[in-house]
Amino acid sequence: MKQHLGRQSGVQNVEVSLIDGKVQVTPKENGQIDPAQLMKATYDSGVTVAEMDMTARGKIVKDWSGTLALQVEPNRSFAFESNDLSKSLESLASSQAVVTVRGRLYKKPASKTKADASVPLKLLLLEVLKEAPKKE
Amino acid sequence: MNVEKYVMKYAKKFSLLCLLTFVFVPASQAQIKHIEMRVEGMT
Repeated sequence: MKQHLGRQSGVQNVEVSLIDGKVQVTPKENGQIDPAQLMKATYDSGVTVAEMDMTARGKIVKDWSGTLALQVEPNRSFAFESNDLSKSLESLASSQAVVTVRGRLYKKPASKTKADASVPLKLLLLEVLKEAPKKE
Repeated sequence: MNVEKYVMKYAKKFSLLCLLTFVFVPASQAQIKHIEMRVEGMT
């Protein structure tokens, strides 16, 4: 699995802990890594993803439907699952402020064994690590 | 004139710096820093 994930685009380093089943993925400097692709690659290597957490830095934006999202690249953003933390960031939408957050992109449902790849990953905020000052 | 040359030299450098900042800063500001997965069925 380590080799399989290491071959994915944008991956710099993969650390696997057999004891607790944790896989740490460090992206390359440009950070252009696709979590959905990573999840698919993990399944392809024969193991089941139970949880996927991500630490990312980006701008808070609102998509066409008014849903808050973290924009990590000009053409890639992750919609937030609404919770108290995401609501606290609402005031930053449409500002140029950059935040670093840690959130859960995927948690295996109790009923299913495999994720539905057609459903876009939503980010459930767990922690706001750093909030850059707004640019005036 | 020496002063004019001096100003032009640094104006060019400053313009280049502004251009590079515009190109590279947005890319370094936003990105995925780390991904952690918990997996099952690993042997």
